Amino acid sequence: MSLDPVQVMKGQDPMPSTCPATSNGDIKASREDNKDTHENVGSTTKPKPPKPENAVTIAVSSRVLFRTEKEQKVFEQKGIEEYLRYQVEHENEPFAPGPAFPFVKALEAVNGRLRELYPESEELFDIVLVTYNHAHVGIRLINTINYHNLFIERFCMTGGTSPIGYLKAWHTNLYLSADAEKVQEALAEGIAAATMFMPEKQIKVSETQLRVAFDGDAVLFSDESERIFKAHGLDKFFEHERENENTLLDHGPLKGFLEVLGQLQKKFYAKGHRLDCPIRTYLVTARSAASSGIRALKTLRAWGLEMDEALFLAGAPKGPMLEKIRPHIYFDDQMFHVEGAVEMGAIAAHVPYGIAQKYPHKKSSNTDK
Amino acid sequence: MNVPQMNERHSFCDRKETCSPSRKPKPPKPQNAITIAVSSRALFSMDQEQEIYEQQGMEDYLSYQIKHETQPFAPGPAFPFIKAVEVVNARLRELYPDSEELFDVVLMTSNHAHVGLRLINSINHHQLLIERFCMTGGNSPIGYLKAYHTNLYLSADSGKVREAIEEGIAAATVFSTGRVPEVPETQLRVAFDGDAVLFSDESERIYKAHGLDNFVPGGPLKCFLEALGKLQQKFYAKGQRLDCPIRTYLVTARSAASSGTRALKTLRSWGLETDEALFLAGAPKGPMLEKIRPHIFFDDQMFHVEGAAELGTVAAHVPYGIAQKIPAKTGKDTTKEMQAKQLE
Repeated sequence: MSLDPVQVMKGQDPMPSTCPATSNGDIKASREDNKDTHENVGSTTKPKPPKPENAVTIAVSSRVLFRTEKEQKVFEQKGIEEYLRYQVEHENEPFAPGPAFPFVKALEAVNGRLRELYPESEELFDIVLVTYNHAHVGIRLINTINYHNLFIERFCMTGGTSPIGYLKAWHTNLYLSADAEKVQEALAEGIAAATMFMPEKQIKVSETQLRVAFDGDAVLFSDESERIFKAHGLDKFFEHERENENTLLDHGPLKGFLEVLGQLQKKFYAKGHRLDCPIRTYLVTARSAASSGIRALKTLRAWGLEMDEALFLAGAPKGPMLEKIRPHIYFDDQMFHVEGAVEMGAIAAHVPYGIAQKYPHKKSSNTDK
Repeated sequence: MNVPQMNERHSFCDRKETCSPSRKPKPPKPQNAITIAVSSRALFSMDQEQEIYEQQGMEDYLSYQIKHETQPFAPGPAFPFIKAVEVVNARLRELYPDSEELFDVVLMTSNHAHVGLRLINSINHHQLLIERFCMTGGNSPIGYLKAYHTNLYLSADSGKVREAIEEGIAAATVFSTGRVPEVPETQLRVAFDGDAVLFSDESERIYKAHGLDNFVPGGPLKCFLEALGKLQQKFYAKGQRLDCPIRTYLVTARSAASSGTRALKTLRSWGLETDEALFLAGAPKGPMLEKIRPHIFFDDQMFHVEGAAELGTVAAHVPYGIAQKIPAKTGKDTTKEMQAKQLE
């Protein structure tokens, strides 16, 4: 297994310095890349991608960025050769946007604002396309990216091998994929990750403000409280929360991502943009405020994290609230809630972490309220 | 607050794995319940904090709140109403342990999550059962009101109340009376003005044009009276008409003989009744309300709201209809004064 993503592409595309202006599929040769090569390439209006260690890196798979159901079917029914042939044949047909598309667009809007305020800073979002696909499909992906005016300069086309190693190499802060197994692998390696689902009807989301909504337990916080609730019921859960009011909850898989969002938000506040900050975060939890809210709020505060809005639902369905919030992405550990959100047209992502995964995920067998 | 009887509690315990004296009942599903959304400034007295916010800005306000986190807020104008609502819930749970047709109170505040802890501490200190919060961090709560199928929204902010009414949600601006209201603890009493509150303010015009045969549209609080009526029926069904913990009052400036019949017939055509009806023919409402001692009185005219508040009644303004454009002559200046008083 090659750890150098460039080797896959090298055979196909010329090196950046001779790249035609229309292509933006520049592959970073190595991390000690010389900036000069980039600056000489193509249009000077495209901003330079930040160094991975400075940036907030979001890795998206091709199947969540774009809609590839048709192609997926070809692959499943007719095999890989047919699939590759099909892709090459339709190379000039851009894919339609997938569930992660509005999220990525919103990230770019935020980047635009950050660059205005801090032209020298590298603390930006950096989007990397991570896909199992072979390099053959690369051209179609690049064409699609250009067609939709996205700024995705970094690709990892793993040709069938696991992307986890690359995720770490890119200092990935968030990985979004359609494949639950890959997401689980990433979580096991300590990388924030979630499986995305396409809503049938999609509610319109903001183009100028990135909205990210999080569940509490087993997403921002560990699943310890969830375990007590499932084992001993609601009363014991309340009792436990009250007794441990001043003990912080342990962190969950998405805590780090909320943290980096908060850091970027502070950059806007520092320049007096608190009211029109282009990033807004929401806590949407089934917890009950009076009985179990204190521990959650104290934990967030101890971590130095703020949420812009906090909804304590005490078991009320999350779908209608999310429909009002219109997040670009909503993270929850329970498929029941993810499905409820998707049904109302909200973009939801499943974080397969913690005790809730032991229960069946099929729509028909919802054991939770 | 009433505690459920021992034999009733037993049936709860059977269905749960553990049963402790501090057990709290589970909140009902929003679509089954009668949802009352209340803002933090309506539920609690936050005048001092409001002043800090206005004079010193957001950062000082937040740090003040955090510093005083363990100091519970004092009750605000809507507090007695919410307490009485919980009494009704306790009685309903006794009679119908499996039903979700209960009041559900949601705290709907534009405060940030930082203030959440102080609010939770205050709620627990006063032994309220408010488990659902929407802390909108400055954004409008209207979307969430709809998502919760809100039946009544009480706020200290007339702008938000107006927005809610425009979206078809029953809403009213509550004002502090400056003193602790003396209200019954075991019976929820709700008083309504007639025109532009229960009845649409077009009712007079429609009658003059078409007679009562035409369906008279309801005003913004009609549906809330309807919801109260439904709960009352549940008590009547169990033989508790005489000591029903909900009592409703019509307090109207109409004259009984000349326009009373129309009001009563309209209510009847809607299948609604109020327990008591006072036709004042223009007499001041304040003294009557002082006798009734309602937990809340809804009126569309600030003149009446102020009159009630002067005598210690918790009055709420429903900013709807023609009266908003042509306030009563003393209304205009005192409206500003009352609003300013609220803001500080």
